[in-house]
This record gives sequence, structure tokens and C-alpha cells, in this order.
Amino acid sequence: MTRTIRQTGTLFYYDGPQVFEALDAIGGHYLGVMVAPDDARDRYLVVGADPDRLRQFRLGLIDLRTMIMDRPYGEWFMLHVDSGLDGDLGLEVIADPDIADDLLPVAGFQLQQTSTSSVAGIEARARGNLVLEITLTPPESAREHRIHVPTYVKALGLLQTIVKHAFGWALRDTPQNSRSSVRRENAHILDVVVPAEAGSFKLILVGSQEPDMFGNNEIARALVQLDQLFDHVSDPVEAAKYAQTRRGHLAGAYLRLLEFLVAHDTDIQYEWAEPLSTHTQRRGISINQAKPIIAILSTVQDLGSETVILTGALTKADVANGAWRLLTSEGEFAGRTAENGPGLGGLKIESRYTFTCTEEMSEVQTSGTETRLLLLMKHEPA
Amino acid sequence: MNYREPLPNDCPPPEASEIADPRIVFRLVRLDPPTLDDFRSQRDEQPTASFRLSECQARGLSVFAVQGDCQLAAKLPKFRGRLVCRVNLRVGSGFIQQTNRPSHHTWWPFANYDILSQCEVAT
Repeated sequence: MTRTIRQTGTLFYYDGPQVFEALDAIGGHYLGVMVAPDDARDRYLVVGADPDRLRQFRLGLIDLRTMIMDRPYGEWFMLHVDSGLDGDLGLEVIADPDIADDLLPVAGFQLQQTSTSSVAGIEARARGNLVLEITLTPPESAREHRIHVPTYVKALGLLQTIVKHAFGWALRDTPQNSRSSVRRENAHILDVVVPAEAGSFKLILVGSQEPDMFGNNEIARALVQLDQLFDHVSDPVEAAKYAQTRRGHLAGAYLRLLEFLVAHDTDIQYEWAEPLSTHTQRRGISINQAKPIIAILSTVQDLGSETVILTGALTKADVANGAWRLLTSEGEFAGRTAENGPGLGGLKIESRYTFTCTEEMSEVQTSGTETRLLLLMKHEPA
Repeated sequence: MNYREPLPNDCPPPEASEIADPRIVFRLVRLDPPTLDDFRSQRDEQPTASFRLSECQARGLSVFAVQGDCQLAAKLPKFRGRLVCRVNLRVGSGFIQQTNRPSHHTWWPFANYDILSQCEVAT
């Protein structure tokens, strides 16, 4: 008789995944531990795991032998692996209720407890994923955990936007020959998991993309960039100077977030950790710190603009009002000519051109999300 | 640069560091004194397996920077009875990168580094 599971994470790694967790098709949790190989194939002892006890195991509060001995229904399984833990894994149900001692770990194998008692650190460990905790203090949260819906929606929109652009910047800082190994798809997306906690208005978010087998989440790259933006908030000149080194969408998103805080009369604090972090990263900014930074950055021309180069076939060219559309390999882009930019007269529909544009982001007032405007600065045949 | 095992292009990765200062790492070995069999990569042990990690990592050696983490690994069923070996690394011993926390590192030894003479079973 068999059962099928899929690995969801590695809890201890040494010359291969030694302890892993998995799920079956109906959400049942499992814990697997490598035992001595059989006929040169890797073997794992696998048991079902209660989710709450699994959480305690991840936090280092229960040892592995106890997890196995106290398994649900006394069931246990063997997994023979021919080619790694990818994909569907077929478990062999073992009829003998007793597990031979040589298949068991010695008592005392406990994952290292997190040295941080912060919510972010504990949740990261418990969830096996990066956790970002955000604290806002709008006036309505003074007496209870409460926030106006528009403020909540806008804060989430601005947070997601700044993390998205921070991730883009982090990729730019990554050496070219390492970029291909970065798992980019939806890497910047955050999911809300705990929408409110008593004490102040707190949000708990996790990386939406699954962490890798070591528990690392690509979104950590974006949060490192964010930390650097918030490093100098007590010195507005330094803070503004650093923000300008991130000129483009990231700096623009940063300025819009600061303006949001002032407009909604709230500070912001955040804290983040990964599952095996020994300490959390904590940053924040008050309204009084934000105001002088806004004053400096608001005078910087084109702070949030970026140059975008597009090559493709022209599908629209409205000479009168300057509107155009270009079909590239990444989709169709639309924009207008810049105020001092070139005219569209003489361009031929379906001919290929390279358009050099300035991309400006502006904020949708209610949601904090962005709209993008492409302004054509130069064009030439491709 | 010759490594103990053939490595793919762009391996070790840019994030890895060439060992420039003496340091100690810990690895589990079967016997005292250890043999070179204790220093084979996953790829060397399983030439045809498909691993859920990069080929570069699969061709490195797992070591711990903290002895306690190595002692913890020795509690697992596959490694019961194994001994903790303290390995001295210095200039000329290869590249190393922390690849998991708290102290798991991947070590890519140079071909001419005499591992066994630098490995002392810890009591």
C-alpha cells in the first residue's frame, strides 16, 4: 500500500536533506528523516505530524525522536529515493507497528531555538518562511487595534510597491553571472497572514513565493534594500542622499510612502526575519523624521523616473496628440511623446523602432498602487 | 585552479570566499583516523541522482562552523556512530560559503590540499 507526498521544506541539511517536511494531497503533514541507505538508494523514515507539534519542532521545543515515537495512529512509512526529493514521493506503509532502533534518531535532536523572542523571528521559524511584521500608528489605533480601511488598503499597496522596486534594485546589484539562479517569478509578492494584533495596528506578511530548501526567500533581497533606505532616517540629509542613489522607481516609491505616513499621521515600524535568523532586522521612521526628508526629496527633479528602452513594432502613432503604442517581445507598451521629445510624424505602422523613454510612476490615490507613464524622448529605426 | 572534484562553470559561486585565514570546520567521519571516503560530495556518492539544489552545491562538502551543530547531526540515524572531525583550513584549502544557518557551510577543496593530514577526530 502506498501514499503520496510532496516535500515542502528541508529542516536540516548535511550532505543532502536529512530532515524534511512534506504534505499529502489533502494537506496532511509529514516529517521525514534519512536513514542508512538500502541497495545504494537513499531511504527515509517518514511519519505523519500534527501541525501544532510540527510548529513546536521547528521552534526547537520538541526533539525528533519524540516526534517519531508520538506519531499519529502509530503509522509509519519508508520512502526509497532514486533521484532526489522532487515531485511526487511514494511512501510504503509499514505494517509492523514497531520501528527498529537503528532507524531512529538519538534523543535530543532538536532544531536550534531562535535566539530572538520577537514575533517576526518566532513566526518565521514556525512558518518556515520569511516574515515581515509592520506596525502602523494612525490616530484611530490609539485605543484599540483599528485602522481606516482606505489607510489600510493604501499602506498595503505602498508597501508592496516599495518592496517590488527594492527587489528590482537588488537584482541590479546582483552580479550578472548569479542572476540566472535567482528565482524571480513573484519573488517580490507579499501575502498578509495575520491582519491585526492587539496592542497597535500590526500586519504580519510572508513571502508569497515558497522558500528554497534552505528556508531562504528571494524577497529577503528586497528587504535588505529597504533596510538601507531606512538606515539614516535620523539624519535627513544623509537619508535623502542615500535615497538619491536609488533614483528611479525605488526612490519614488520611498518618497510616496513617506508622504503617506505624514498625510495619515502615522509612524511605521517593521521587523523581518527568516526561519533560521539568529536576530531580526528592525527599522522604522516617525512622522517628524519623514517630514524633512520629504522636504529635500520633493525638490529633486525626476527622482522617481527611470529610462526605459523598448524595441518593437509600432502599432499606433497619433501625430496630433503624441500617443503611441509599441509591440515588443514583452507585450504592448503605450505612452506619449515627452514635452520636448520628438514628433511621431514619418513613423510607419508595423515598422520596428527603438524607443528611449522616461518612465514615470504615479500613485492611484485610493489604493497606493502605481500607474506608469512612458514619455518618448528619442526614437530610431531598430 | 584545480578542485578535488570537477566543478561546473561559475562554481564556486561569486558569493563564496577563497579561504585566506586559518579556520576550523567540522565534518562527520566514520573512523579514526578518517579516510577520503568521508570527504566525498553528494554528486560523487550519487552520480546519477537528481538533487533539489544546484550542481555546484552538490559537488561541495557539507561542513559546520560550530562543533555543536556537527554533534547534532551525529544524532541522526544515518550518522549514528560517526565521529566529529575537526578540519583545519588555511590558504590553499579551497573556497567556502555559508549555505544554511546556523553554521552549515559548503566547502570546495582544492585538489592538492591534503585533507586527511588536517583532520583530527575531536574527543
